[in-house]
Amino acid sequence: MTRFEWSRKITIGHYIPIDSIIHRLDSSCKLLGFTVLIVAIAFCNSYFGNVLFFTFALFLFVLSRLPIRYGLSGIKPAIPFMVILAVLQLLFYGGGVTASGTVYIHYSFLLITSDSVRLVVVSAMRFVEIILVSSVLTLSTPETELMHGMERLLKPLKYIRFPVHQFSLIIMIAVRFVPTFAMEMEKLMKAQASRGAAFGTGRWWQIIRRTKDMFPLMIPLFRSAMARADDLVLAMECRCFVPGQSRTTYRRGKARSRDFSFLLIIIGFSLFALFYPFPG
Amino acid sequence: MRAKSSLASMGVDRMERQPLIRAEDVSFQYKGDLGEKVIPALNQIRLDIYPGEYVAIIGRNGSGKSTLSKHFNGILQPSRGDVWVDGWNTKEKSRLQEIRKKVGMVFQNPDNQIIATTVEDDVAFGLENIQVPPEEMDERIDAALRLAGLSSMRRRAPYHLSEGQKQRLAIAGVIAMRPACLVLDEATSRLDTYGRRELLRVIRRLNEGGMAIVTVTHHMSEAAEADRVIVLDEGSIVLQGPPREVFQKQAFLQERQLDVPAASRIAGMVHERCPSFRPDLIDSDEVAGEVRRLIGEGEK
Amino acid sequence: MAAEPIIDVQHLEHTYMKGTPFVHQALTGVSITVYSGECVAIIGHTGSGKSTLVQHFNGLILPQKGKVIVDGADLSDKKTDMKGLRQKVGLVFQDPESQIFESLVGDEIAYGPFKMGWPIKDVRDAVKGAMEMAGLPFDAMKDRPTAALSGGQKRKVALAGVLALKPKILVLDEPTAGLDPRSGMELLGRLKTLNEQEHLTIVFISHHLEEVAYLADRIYVLDHGKNIGEGSPATLFSNKKMLEKYRIGTPETVDILYRLQDAGFSVNVAHYGIAEVASQICSILEHGPRRDRYDTV
Repeated sequence: MTRFEWSRKITIGHYIPIDSIIHRLDSSCKLLGFTVLIVAIAFCNSYFGNVLFFTFALFLFVLSRLPIRYGLSGIKPAIPFMVILAVLQLLFYGGGVTASGTVYIHYSFLLITSDSVRLVVVSAMRFVEIILVSSVLTLSTPETELMHGMERLLKPLKYIRFPVHQFSLIIMIAVRFVPTFAMEMEKLMKAQASRGAAFGTGRWWQIIRRTKDMFPLMIPLFRSAMARADDLVLAMECRCFVPGQSRTTYRRGKARSRDFSFLLIIIGFSLFALFYPFPG
Repeated sequence: MRAKSSLASMGVDRMERQPLIRAEDVSFQYKGDLGEKVIPALNQIRLDIYPGEYVAIIGRNGSGKSTLSKHFNGILQPSRGDVWVDGWNTKEKSRLQEIRKKVGMVFQNPDNQIIATTVEDDVAFGLENIQVPPEEMDERIDAALRLAGLSSMRRRAPYHLSEGQKQRLAIAGVIAMRPACLVLDEATSRLDTYGRRELLRVIRRLNEGGMAIVTVTHHMSEAAEADRVIVLDEGSIVLQGPPREVFQKQAFLQERQLDVPAASRIAGMVHERCPSFRPDLIDSDEVAGEVRRLIGEGEK
Repeated sequence: MAAEPIIDVQHLEHTYMKGTPFVHQALTGVSITVYSGECVAIIGHTGSGKSTLVQHFNGLILPQKGKVIVDGADLSDKKTDMKGLRQKVGLVFQDPESQIFESLVGDEIAYGPFKMGWPIKDVRDAVKGAMEMAGLPFDAMKDRPTAALSGGQKRKVALAGVLALKPKILVLDEPTAGLDPRSGMELLGRLKTLNEQEHLTIVFISHHLEEVAYLADRIYVLDHGKNIGEGSPATLFSNKKMLEKYRIGTPETVDILYRLQDAGFSVNVAHYGIAEVASQICSILEHGPRRDRYDTV
């Protein structure tokens, strides 16, 4: 029964352990590169630019040797949302007509111009591109690598006294315990269901009842979180952890020329797709 | 017989060596909810643990065995008396880190001791804390994982490990810091037969390499592996000695709600009917050996 | 013992996370039968599919392939009444005390009966009955705060919480794991009484062979999602090859007998009780070795 198995889907995360150029990239360069790419996509308004980005996203999938259907499966649940958004944008764009624009339909409040059509198409494309690009990142990088990449990127912040190391330690522990709690939640749901509990029944307006239905899950989960935290602190202290004391780091950046060329290619490509004066 | 020879060598060693851990008249009381002191958990404990020794602490629930083990690296400080680790008093807060480097500790639930998202990062955690230079870490992580039998798991995520493997990871994380003593607080109680056997093998290997082991356990067959068994009851040491001596006092132990290994019980029963059969046997290997010895003599 | 099957599992398969790179086939073809009034143990090392199998018994997992029939109800049939099934089959998870959420013992145990919509009076009777069965005196314990109980008592409360639904079948995953030996023994004694006197059918998962030997009429051995062995504790413990091959381990007393056997003495491994082993050793000592090797020479 898949009802209780949702947690496994969180549990496993998304990383797919295969080997490719993309998998082997240094995580901080990769994280930075993909961030640049996503920001560039978000600002890209032209048809041509988006076609380029879309092609590039597919190209990344090929490079990373990831099955494209995993990327596409991320899009599927977003389709209804995208359709609603498109309809709303089309109906209520209200931006008027620009000098270069053409009016397609004008009926009472309804005004559909080439600009509003472009907005709809471009935002749908951007959406798909961002999902594809971020899928490549998460499918090809283990969470740990992402965290260490982030830690290295944040390192300069320590000069403004931002506790980078502690911050990333907290994130690491949080990520570490996600599967643990997800499994625990699954077990609790099954255990309470075995005693006749039914979750997610009752109408939406029966908020009190639905909240009360969650008590048999939330109370034990909360209690276990407290107990685990106690144990964890003890275990950390036993391994000589003293908050705020300086530590060395096991993971060091291993960025090589290959990683920097990847970063430069992405930056160059993004600038081109964003600013080249495409016709139309 | 195995334990006999180690016992003899221990007697000599004890004279010569300084204790690694010394508990002097340690008493401890847990504070109640309102800060008032309630039940005394430990009562005037005097105990020395020597380098390289293998000690098992047994006792029923609430006997204070877990509380005692938490004194060995300064997690708890005695209400009265002192605990010394390698000459340092655990009450000296500034020495705590040195003390914890000397005495590592592993607890019951492995899931709550693993901090990192991969095996190697978790082993590195302690090394980072004691500021081991990064270029030295790889070697230490390798060695610790090899000792714990997890070399092939290095890049795995902890949730892909079995309970037994998780517990061995917890041990690897501690031994990478190269402690002189490893304290295990009911570390095998959640493992299945196979997981327990593998864990015990790792512990034995560490002990053979010279690390002192203190294990708090409910499992008498585990205690039988130690050089010395300490029986706690109501916060006091009521009996201690080599396992074969301790496990002969079946009536005494049963009064304190403790069992003895099945091998010891069988040896006791056989001894009653055939007095030539030694009653002080502690494991199945010894029982079979004793039968062979007696029959062999008969044949001659 | 009535020879009427109450749980019948045929060629059951189950795959987790189908259609992802993490597919994992937990069950690869299990067939087991539990008869009414029996006490059956399921053993096998970590990852053999024990937990997945027992979660089929009350419909927490529905059969993907194969058949599961529990007390006449076919679980592949969409019309099967799940609520009724879960009342009939009480499932006690590992570390069940972690599911306690009410602040008072009585309320916690009454959760199931209330969810079933029973009238107050029936709920009270059910709670009272369940508490007595689990070894918790009703008047003394019903208003105790759950937080102040010992580990062993908490587990009894969790057990009572399941018994309150008056199940016909009790399924337990590692019932004594994490308990100290005394509380564990007491719990096993309770389960034995429930099985023998209340005629409750019991299925339990365990890795503790002493406990299996004490409680089970019959054992199924699982490995890689398949049942690969079945029999009484005595027949199974006599099968040394199987114990070793599937990493099941051996009870200490059985181990002694095997060591004697290896040394050439003739012993009966099916008689593995402590007193039985002692008397077997005595008879070797008293009546001469009777070595197999000796005989053949």
